[in-house]
Amino acid sequence: MNPQKRTTLTLTGLTLAFLALTALFLSNRPGRPVRLPPIPLVGTDFLDTATVRRSYADLARAQEDLSDFECYTCHEKGKPPPLRYDLNQNLIVPKEHSDIVMGHGSHGRNNNCFNCHNETNLEQLQTRDGRALTFSDSPMLCGSCHGPTYRDWEAGAHGRISGYWDQALGPAQRKQCVNCHNPHSPHFPPRQPAPGPHPLRAVAVAAVESEPNH
Amino acid sequence: MRNYFVFLGRCGRIAFEGDWRYYAWMGGLTIFCLLGLHAWCRQFAQGLILTGMSDEVSWGVYIANFTFLVGVAAAAVMMVIPVYIYDNEELHDLVIFGELLAVAAILMCLAFVTVDLGRPDRFWHLIPGIGQFNFPKSMLSWDVIVLNGYLLLNVHICGYLLYSRYRGVKPAKWFYIPFVFVAIVWAVSIHTVTAFLYVGLGGRPFWNSAIVGPRFLASAFTAGPALIILALQIIRRVTQYSISDKALLTLRSIVQVSMLINVFLLANEVFKEFYSGNLHVVSSKYLYIGLHGHHGLVPWIWTAIAFNLTAMLLLVLPVSRSLKWLNVTCVLCIVGIWIEKGMGLVIPGFIPTPLGEMMEYTPSFNETLVCFGIWAFGLLCYTVFLRMSVPILQGRLVQANEGQAGSAAARKH
Amino acid sequence: MSRRSFLRTSAVLTTGLAALAASLKPLMEMNDFPTAERFMQKYYKELTPAEMEKVLQRITDEVEKQYGIRPHVRDLKPMDGVEFVYCLNLTRCIGCRKCVHACVAENNQSRNPEIQYIRVLRLPHGSLDIEKAEHFYNTDSVPEKGYFYMPVQCQQCKNPPCVKVCPVHATWQETDGITVIDYDWCIGCRYCEAACPYWARRFNFTKPSIPQERLNPDMAYLGNRPRRQGVMEKCHFCIQRTRAGRYPACLEVCPAGARKFGNILDPNSEVSYILKNKRVFIQLKEEMGTAPRFFYYFDV
Repeated sequence: MNPQKRTTLTLTGLTLAFLALTALFLSNRPGRPVRLPPIPLVGTDFLDTATVRRSYADLARAQEDLSDFECYTCHEKGKPPPLRYDLNQNLIVPKEHSDIVMGHGSHGRNNNCFNCHNETNLEQLQTRDGRALTFSDSPMLCGSCHGPTYRDWEAGAHGRISGYWDQALGPAQRKQCVNCHNPHSPHFPPRQPAPGPHPLRAVAVAAVESEPNH
Repeated sequence: MRNYFVFLGRCGRIAFEGDWRYYAWMGGLTIFCLLGLHAWCRQFAQGLILTGMSDEVSWGVYIANFTFLVGVAAAAVMMVIPVYIYDNEELHDLVIFGELLAVAAILMCLAFVTVDLGRPDRFWHLIPGIGQFNFPKSMLSWDVIVLNGYLLLNVHICGYLLYSRYRGVKPAKWFYIPFVFVAIVWAVSIHTVTAFLYVGLGGRPFWNSAIVGPRFLASAFTAGPALIILALQIIRRVTQYSISDKALLTLRSIVQVSMLINVFLLANEVFKEFYSGNLHVVSSKYLYIGLHGHHGLVPWIWTAIAFNLTAMLLLVLPVSRSLKWLNVTCVLCIVGIWIEKGMGLVIPGFIPTPLGEMMEYTPSFNETLVCFGIWAFGLLCYTVFLRMSVPILQGRLVQANEGQAGSAAARKH
Repeated sequence: MSRRSFLRTSAVLTTGLAALAASLKPLMEMNDFPTAERFMQKYYKELTPAEMEKVLQRITDEVEKQYGIRPHVRDLKPMDGVEFVYCLNLTRCIGCRKCVHACVAENNQSRNPEIQYIRVLRLPHGSLDIEKAEHFYNTDSVPEKGYFYMPVQCQQCKNPPCVKVCPVHATWQETDGITVIDYDWCIGCRYCEAACPYWARRFNFTKPSIPQERLNPDMAYLGNRPRRQGVMEKCHFCIQRTRAGRYPACLEVCPAGARKFGNILDPNSEVSYILKNKRVFIQLKEEMGTAPRFFYYFDV
């Protein structure tokens, strides 16, 4: 084949290639947008800023039903209810209060209701030094034993404060102990975690289980 | 001035003239350029999600290629040293081929950086005075300055020398010799600044090491001249431009020394990473032996090391004086160093992430098309530069034969 | 030139140019192509108040057009005498990840691809070795025995590496300590993402997708206004809340009260108390010299 012919052939080939490219580019095949695997929206309960419990003060402020705290509906005034224990020194919770699980201190410490409740006035709490506190003032009771935590709570280092850090611009609401801690079983309850991250590129999940050190 | 435009016009025209092999080569490159351009347009429209990058590995093949090509651009000027400092007349004209390679490489570098940007439409934010240029704190700002300055330097030197040869006049020494010496220093600076992009990041211990800069230079001065050795042989074959074997062997000695230094520095790095046993070794572990069940880069780096060691062996033995073996050695150097600088440097810096997450990286098809497109564009530029400069240097495209009907003599290969 | 060579040359040139034009098709189909106004928008620090008003108006209109909700976009300036500091109690964090999702909701982050400023790490007791961190723990109940949890987000460093490396000053630190990003100035080079030792910065790899029903319309220019594809974003201490005096969203949602935030220059703030009275602090990767404004502490 002479050079002229070769050149023509090459240029013809190129022309066809360019035409093919034009067709390819104009077709929608390469232009399809990338489709990502769907990620479900997180449940709104994970976005809720409410504390795990509501305190007496919260209920009172919201003008809700406080009948649970009206002890003398059932109890007799002047007659402190007797406490009963089983053979292992565990408190036997009366069936009327079966929703209470005692767990305030391990090894049966602190299983005397009247360490905190006032036997002469069931609708109040009491400290060891004899102060009577309303249910709204419960932090002082907690603080009478848990001093360092109470000190931190007062300064804002323990617990939750919500609202405004700059109180010149708005109110801040300091949550009470019972907003997070069930006074009968104060250990902060475990919960289900929100879903983990979904990285952009699929991870061959080889979750590294590192051994805990104890 | 009018003469200059005529010169440019003739150069432009000659780029479109050649035989069928020239058309096939240029046509093929153009096809890849167009595929790459289309792929990049898709990326501009849909975002970098079309690449394989992620928040975990946020730089990939684009920056890997950029890093490699900055080295090539720096080294391409290294032939300047024997010519102008040691007065080696053999290599005189070849300097121009080297500098033209540097220009093509810098154009590719600029292209790779542009396609890597999330918002290339905001490029003007980088222009000092008009935008907000974070000089001197940001090493990227230094890189912008040195790369563009290097481009201008080389365009000036080549342009002036070629235009003088075209006009048949002796080039005025003051108008190019100072720039040549500046270019020697500048070549070292472009690659050092690029190295400092990585070295300056304290949060990435894999990169935050003083050896990265010297390693960059050593590997650049291995791969760059190796590329030039190959390119010169192609020029010799295709254009009948006479290039002596002595020139190739001079370049071989540059490659030889640089590869020895490169391997020595590799040994230093490996010792430092693994001997002390401190926790900063994780990225190196991932690279060389795999980490937490991920070992995507292990075969690559060991291939690169094998290539580099074989090339080093061949270089010190006299067998590489024969062109066949020299070419094999050059290919081994180029591929080995491309892997080492690309996958062996950029990617392990991101794995694991600063918070310990393991996320591997594979370039996507679209990303690969863009890379091929830019490489094709660079080869296209270099071919055009050679297509213009070889006839000028051979004395066939000169001002004296301006206006001659067809200038067929100038066009013929 | 002969007729044949003219024909074949022009055939190649024409089809070549056609292919070139066709290759640009994806750009023509973009519905978000930068307008002239957006292209020319000035740097945040150079905008006059009148220009800023126009920009905020434009953003308001764009968000309304896209989501059907008219937002309230402000440009909040830092308050005097304020330097924000964040303290996080590692004894209390239970790893529930509510902070991660509250942040996403407050700050209008993309749900798919997923962008989350906060990453909660699960570490085994006794070690701060990040290599042992698990990011993807997925149990039925937290906290798990033998582990503790450490949420990591932008540490708003006093000596930020991201600010140092940004080539266009798109990210800088304000007087109240927050490192901010001008989303309309960022060129998306991701150098800051490489520089951050805490992996705190995120990039928009494509157009972010925010479900309309979860859009937060209370926005700030440097904060939670919706971002575009190709720009960086990160935690900014909920600038739209904190510069209005409120606590950040991550703190408000934490059930365990592990997060503490405030003005370190105020001696009566809870963060001042913590830094004065707690004995052990961890500033992550302290040896980097970044001087983070994020302090992890314990309750003894």
